[in-house]
Amino acid sequence: MSAAQSRPVPPGRIWTLGLGFVIWCFALSLLYGIHAIGCAFAWPSATLRWTLVLVLALHCAALAWLWLRERRNPPDAAQGAAGAFMHWAITGTLIAALVSAVLVLGAPLLLQTCV
Amino acid sequence: MTQPRGDQAGSAPPPAPRSALQLHRALTAIWDTGPGIQRLSSVNHTVLGRRFMVTAFVFMLIGGLLGMLTRIQLATPMSRFMDAETYNQVFSVHGSMMMFLFGIPMLEGLAVYFTPKLLGARDFAFPRLTAYGYWCYLFGGSIITLSLLAGVAPDSGWFMYTPLSSNVFTPGVNADVWLLGVTFVEISALTLAVEITVSILKMRAPGMSLDRMPIFGWYILAMVLMMIVGFPPLILASILLEMERAFGLPFFDPTRGGDPLLWQHLFWLFGHPDVYIIFLPMAAVLSTLIPVFAQRPLVGYRAIVVAIVALAFVSFGIWVHHMFTVGIPHLALAFFSAGSAIVAVPTAIQIFAWLATLAHGNPRWSLPMLYIFGFFFVFALGGLTGVMLAIVPFDWQAHDSYFVVAHLHYVVGGAMLFPLLAGMYYWLPLLTGRAMVQRLSVPAFWLIFIGFNLTFLVMHLAGLLGMPRRIWTYAAADGWTWMNLLASVGAFIMTIGFGLLVIDLCVQLRYGRRSPRNPWKAGTLEWAMPLPAPCYAFASLPVVEERADWLPVRELGAKLARGEGFLGFTRNGWMETLGVHMTSGAPDQLIILPRATYQPLWTAIATALAVLAMLFKQYWLAAAMVGVVAALFIYGAQHAGLPRDYGTLPVGRGLSLPPHTEVQGTPPWWSLVFTLVADGTLFASLVFGTFYLWIAAPHWPPQVRPDPNVALALATMAVLVVAAFVSRLSLRRLQAGSSFTPTLAATAALLIAAIALTVVLIGGVVPAPGTHALGATSAALLGYVTTHAGIGVLFLVSNALRAGRGLMSARRTMDLRLTRLWLDYTAVTGIIAIGLVLALPALVRTLELRP
Repeated sequence: MSAAQSRPVPPGRIWTLGLGFVIWCFALSLLYGIHAIGCAFAWPSATLRWTLVLVLALHCAALAWLWLRERRNPPDAAQGAAGAFMHWAITGTLIAALVSAVLVLGAPLLLQTCV
Repeated sequence: MTQPRGDQAGSAPPPAPRSALQLHRALTAIWDTGPGIQRLSSVNHTVLGRRFMVTAFVFMLIGGLLGMLTRIQLATPMSRFMDAETYNQVFSVHGSMMMFLFGIPMLEGLAVYFTPKLLGARDFAFPRLTAYGYWCYLFGGSIITLSLLAGVAPDSGWFMYTPLSSNVFTPGVNADVWLLGVTFVEISALTLAVEITVSILKMRAPGMSLDRMPIFGWYILAMVLMMIVGFPPLILASILLEMERAFGLPFFDPTRGGDPLLWQHLFWLFGHPDVYIIFLPMAAVLSTLIPVFAQRPLVGYRAIVVAIVALAFVSFGIWVHHMFTVGIPHLALAFFSAGSAIVAVPTAIQIFAWLATLAHGNPRWSLPMLYIFGFFFVFALGGLTGVMLAIVPFDWQAHDSYFVVAHLHYVVGGAMLFPLLAGMYYWLPLLTGRAMVQRLSVPAFWLIFIGFNLTFLVMHLAGLLGMPRRIWTYAAADGWTWMNLLASVGAFIMTIGFGLLVIDLCVQLRYGRRSPRNPWKAGTLEWAMPLPAPCYAFASLPVVEERADWLPVRELGAKLARGEGFLGFTRNGWMETLGVHMTSGAPDQLIILPRATYQPLWTAIATALAVLAMLFKQYWLAAAMVGVVAALFIYGAQHAGLPRDYGTLPVGRGLSLPPHTEVQGTPPWWSLVFTLVADGTLFASLVFGTFYLWIAAPHWPPQVRPDPNVALALATMAVLVVAAFVSRLSLRRLQAGSSFTPTLAATAALLIAAIALTVVLIGGVVPAPGTHALGATSAALLGYVTTHAGIGVLFLVSNALRAGRGLMSARRTMDLRLTRLWLDYTAVTGIIAIGLVLALPALVRTLELRP
């Protein structure tokens, strides 16, 4: 049981595995909600669009920051293969969340706002 | 739990049996369920997993028969085989049964049976909960099935859209059968989801760190986590619709400030992830089988784990793609259209990984591989039409047509059916101990494959030519006749295939030769045990030192049978297994499981009576039965845990561990955490519903403005916070060895005060809950707080009883820590819910600013 003899990966890392896409889901929910409110209250198109862009940019910035933080902190050697695996997987999910945020949530912001 | 005579608590492990046979007999005496009627008391995952799968298979046959009836009706134009009303019931129950009584429970059965075995555990964390889940499923499914025979089955389609399912258009009990029956089954699903999640995280084989977990474990973990978050919106929607039907609270009635589209949102927040909840365990089967038949490890393990995580989340973010035609602005539609297209990427990663595994391996051709190739063909077609439907302009043309019916069957039916049958043949030796006979299996496959494609492929064309779904007949002039006839012929061929399959299974069970161990030369742990799988799963627990999907199973199996792993002995008649550190898999606690009991059966019967009482509008009786259910749960809690402190106990291989009653981070703790995640999702859905009605529903603002009693509301919040604080004092006193009865009583008094205050607040809700959705949502938010405070009181009653039985000590504090967590949650959600009720007047005023 070599994994047990080295320093274990903190259990919180399991939740970090989903963190990127939790942010993605938050971004989607917020964008959908703000867009609905903006259209219902007839916000000017530019105001609504830039609000949505700002919300998305904040979420993308959070994802990018998490990704960079993960890059700057390589896995602890004492955590062994489990640590390296979690580092790889977390980095992968953060990149996937960032790319899909830009593609799925960014591109539609070019459309007309309330048609 | 009463202590058996000769209680062994020393530092030396109990003497190990002298032979593998002796160990087998000793373990069987503890883990096995008795014969005859005693089988009803079983809490063993092997027994219950098998029951789940067999019951789901029976429901599939019934659902399939209903599907055949629809095909007979549609085979020719203007058919008089069924009238419209009967047809509505038949197709509605066909869909509901296949989704809720076959699809999800079959996968749960698969997870229940195989997950502990693949992860090297003896059982799940909460065996009695598994049994309760099974009985709830059986009774809920039976209610829906019997309603069909009584002619009062659900008739509003499997997704029960309002207003069709509301009182106005469905005044009978048909919709109530669906709402109550399906919710009953969903409770079963949720209990199992929580249990499986905790078991995967805390009850793997020693040494099985996350990177060594077989890929099957990752898929099942994602599936159950998705269930925990995915099912509560549907449960909430069902509760709200039932409240509308029973008590006139107009959540979905547009004439009184409700909105039918709220139902669609809540339903599809469940419904779309449900497709992936079904797909992921099937992908788990494929990812387990393909390497075995390719004779090489799975390609891209790490990439697949990332793909699973991505799929699990993105599938939640695209629920609106079922609602492209309801009038949502284009920009918002584009989010969901793009999301629906991009979800194909993580799916494709898995498919390419499987293909690469086959390409780089040395594939063996066998019956499960036939079904795997059937899956590739069917799923590729279903996936392609899925991408087509993700594109909004195409969806507008194909929506509610037979094209969608075809797509649905290719994706959900095909993606589940073919891997499931591959897995069934693969694991049949483990389930039955019999080797496979292929005489009938191969013709059965071809009949199912040809019949399936003949039935559903042509439906794409019928849909494109304008045939709407759900119609009970059509005219010859519509031009859909030959397509429907061909589909019906295909359905008959598929049915003959399933008939052959059933005969094949019976033949194998009756005449199959005894299977050798590990007949496929697989490398996963479920094959490191005798065939069929014994009730205790592993005679001793394996130590995993490499990835657990390519292990030397033959040698390992012999060692484990001789008791050379952990816990290779018996002690005190306890059912023992190990708890591990979540990430590293290092053993950290000895888990002692409860023995066989009828209590889950009685609790499920009481739950079923509560559901039936609601169905027959006997609400006082229903409330009484809910009380009985609560009492039975409290009674069951008195029979868990240990009556004294043990310190550490030897578990073999020179290691000693504390029992789970004396450590933190135990399965009960994590189960409550995940239960609260599900509960929190339900609460978030309710908050979403409130805002949705505010922004989107017609007839807002109401003529009567809300005017909550601010002082009373603030007092309620304060009482909840103080109750949570006082519960901390109880815990501190227990840890200090002092009496905590006074603080326990004070907490109960505070919670009862909170209940009284919220009841007064509900009584004063304006506009009255029956007159406008604003009042109804306020009442629902306050009712949520009342319910949670009430459950908090039940926690405290259980605490007091367990303390009286000596089940708590300064080392055994789990009960009070669970109560503290529950009351913290109640306080936080109470503040949000009551705060939202207080904010509603201001929110309503802002509506006047709308142009």
